[in-house]
Amino acid sequence: MRHFLLQISLLLVVSLVLTSCSLAPPAPVDEPAPASADTDAEKIIYLGAAVSETGRFSREGKDTRQGYGLWLDWVNNEYGGIKVGDERYKVELIMYDDEGDPDTAARLVEKLINEDRVDFLLGPYSSFLTQSASAIAEKYGKIMIEGNGAAQPLFERGFQNLFAVLTPALNYTRSALQLLAEKGAETVVIAYEDTAFPTSVADGAQSWAAEYGLEVLGVETYPVNVADVSGIMSKFKELEPDIFVGGGHFNDAVLFIRAAKELDFNPKAMVITVGPSNPKLIEEVGADSEYVIGPTQWEASMSYADDYFGTAAEYAARYEKLWGEPPTYQAAESTATALALHIAIEQAASLDTDAVRTALRNLDVVTFYGPINFDEKGRNAGKPMGAIQIQNGEILVVAPTNAAVADLNYPAPPWKDR
Amino acid sequence: MATERNQKENEARVKRKPLISIPAPVDSLLAGWAGLALWLLLLLLLALYPYTGVSSVALFVGSQIFVLVTLASNWNLIGGMTGYVDFGHAVFFGIGAYIMGILVTGSPLLISPEWGFWQALPASGVAAALFALLIGLPTLRLKGPYFSIAMLGTLVAMREVARVLRPITGGGVGLNLPPLLNRLGDYYLMLAVMGLVVSIIWWIQRSEFGQSLIAIREDEIGAEMRGINTTLHKIVAFMIAAFFTGTVGGFWAWQNTYIDPDVVFVEARTVEMVMMSMLGGLGTVWGPPLGAVVIYFLQDLLWGSLFGVHLVALGVLLVVIVLFMPEGILGTLGDRSSTSLGRLLSRVGRSK
Repeated sequence: MRHFLLQISLLLVVSLVLTSCSLAPPAPVDEPAPASADTDAEKIIYLGAAVSETGRFSREGKDTRQGYGLWLDWVNNEYGGIKVGDERYKVELIMYDDEGDPDTAARLVEKLINEDRVDFLLGPYSSFLTQSASAIAEKYGKIMIEGNGAAQPLFERGFQNLFAVLTPALNYTRSALQLLAEKGAETVVIAYEDTAFPTSVADGAQSWAAEYGLEVLGVETYPVNVADVSGIMSKFKELEPDIFVGGGHFNDAVLFIRAAKELDFNPKAMVITVGPSNPKLIEEVGADSEYVIGPTQWEASMSYADDYFGTAAEYAARYEKLWGEPPTYQAAESTATALALHIAIEQAASLDTDAVRTALRNLDVVTFYGPINFDEKGRNAGKPMGAIQIQNGEILVVAPTNAAVADLNYPAPPWKDR
Repeated sequence: MATERNQKENEARVKRKPLISIPAPVDSLLAGWAGLALWLLLLLLLALYPYTGVSSVALFVGSQIFVLVTLASNWNLIGGMTGYVDFGHAVFFGIGAYIMGILVTGSPLLISPEWGFWQALPASGVAAALFALLIGLPTLRLKGPYFSIAMLGTLVAMREVARVLRPITGGGVGLNLPPLLNRLGDYYLMLAVMGLVVSIIWWIQRSEFGQSLIAIREDEIGAEMRGINTTLHKIVAFMIAAFFTGTVGGFWAWQNTYIDPDVVFVEARTVEMVMMSMLGGLGTVWGPPLGAVVIYFLQDLLWGSLFGVHLVALGVLLVVIVLFMPEGILGTLGDRSSTSLGRLLSRVGRSK
């Protein structure tokens, strides 16, 4: 009898849920007021973005949201709205959670364009989601400007409406390799994760190595979510290279450093993507992270500045005041994304997509984040990648020279002498 | 003591009896021509839906739901009707997606000229069906959880194969398809595929073929002894399911414009299919479509109202449904063709 009642009540619950499904009002849509609303109604520019709040990119997605949020807060409350000709426009940013799922991201971008009628789109976090989202923006001829998708294939599709403020993945290792070549390094080995972004990094590393006269002794790939890289590292140990380049994500950096120490593999420099510029790496591997070099899109200690946020350090202080934590480079590039759009709209003096697109193409400015100058594929060709080195537990910029705050320590001593 | 036992037996009987028995005529009507007529009417209404001036988001949501209904129905054919619980069915989705990707991009295999979408779409299905033949011959000899695990292994293995065959599949970098999106076209295409698949399943259930499948599910040795060629029946059912799953995979690759091993060969997609079939009613014609629609809107509703804990809420709700409505919505409503996952998985070595 008990089960019978349970079943009945469950059925009731389910049917209630179903009924509420059909009765539930559609998800709130911020219907923009008609832009031409005459009289003294406030002028508003609508921006939209689908950024992960849950799912596999929730952490980086949060940085992205906060980066956009900082610009939004500043432009509305401090700057007084975007100047379009003689008028000031407030900005409204509609953000949804894409759950890290390409289907959901696609649906939300479609919704932003067709139901929320946004004027411009900001990008999601990760190359992976930018792939799906930008295809939809392109289809509708909407500009999508992004700062969190650097993989090369994104820009090989002939899109006219995708712009990225970050340095493309091909150039990630450029300044580090150049500096190391100047310091006398001659040989290099490369290991990278077999996914879009690290592959672009590694392709770039090989061509920059050739450019700076470094001999590539070995190239290895490993699958995503690898648990052990000691096989690759022991192979590399026998080659005795001067430079080790590792392309992957945060955990891979930890694995590379630990495996190198365990196997007593002593390259004179380790260049590893993503991990080293994150203070968490020092927490995780401690003193073994000394001498490790990492490419960085941006650091608060860099010497860039603009008329909007001031210097990189002032930006960082502002960010920390608003969000209670220091900005990661993902946050800074998100702010720079919105800022680049902002500047382009002001230069175009129009909200027309074609005019703003032309303005973006012709954009050539220096911001707190670095120079922004888009090439014909929509990549930021103007910005060099920085390089940091961990010295005495601090993350210090060592390249490019005009942003450097410390000298590169090279060569790194062998593990046994540390 | 005796009365207590009596009481328990009574309870057991009550439990076994369908909760709400649909009067026999309605039940058989739904399974019969009236069911098909209602289905065709629904399809007609859905075909007219775009004329009401809906946004392309609505069309996109529509085609996503049609995809889910098609996948759930396909899974039900092998999992629910034949009783082979396939935990790796997404492998056919992935193969379809990759065949589409390889044929329309052409470059890695140096296929020139590249194929068009309409040529590549059936090829996706055919490739998946052939793969089902290949993999089904050994795995369909396994029973209960052994088959499920073998198929799960196949899925994981194919994901690695796609990663390793870099010159053909682009490896972990994946493939970029030409971004030519057409939401209205997608809507009608998936509506047609869904209509076809569910109609075929309706037909199968009424046919001798379908009755043989159910006989296999209920008692495979018995079915064999009655002269049913069980191997042939199982393989054909498996291939039909794989064909349409592969077609949907090919479509999905086109619509998403980007594939890599981790986005098409995902366990979650299989779990989704199982969940939808199970919620609606395993082995029934109308259960899996119903389950797919319910889960889609449930997800949306929870996402809107319980944001943050929406995934937990969905999980708990599904566990509760599985525990207390093991035969799904239609099974609970008295559809006699339904069965429960637990029963199917416990058929190890025994004839039942």
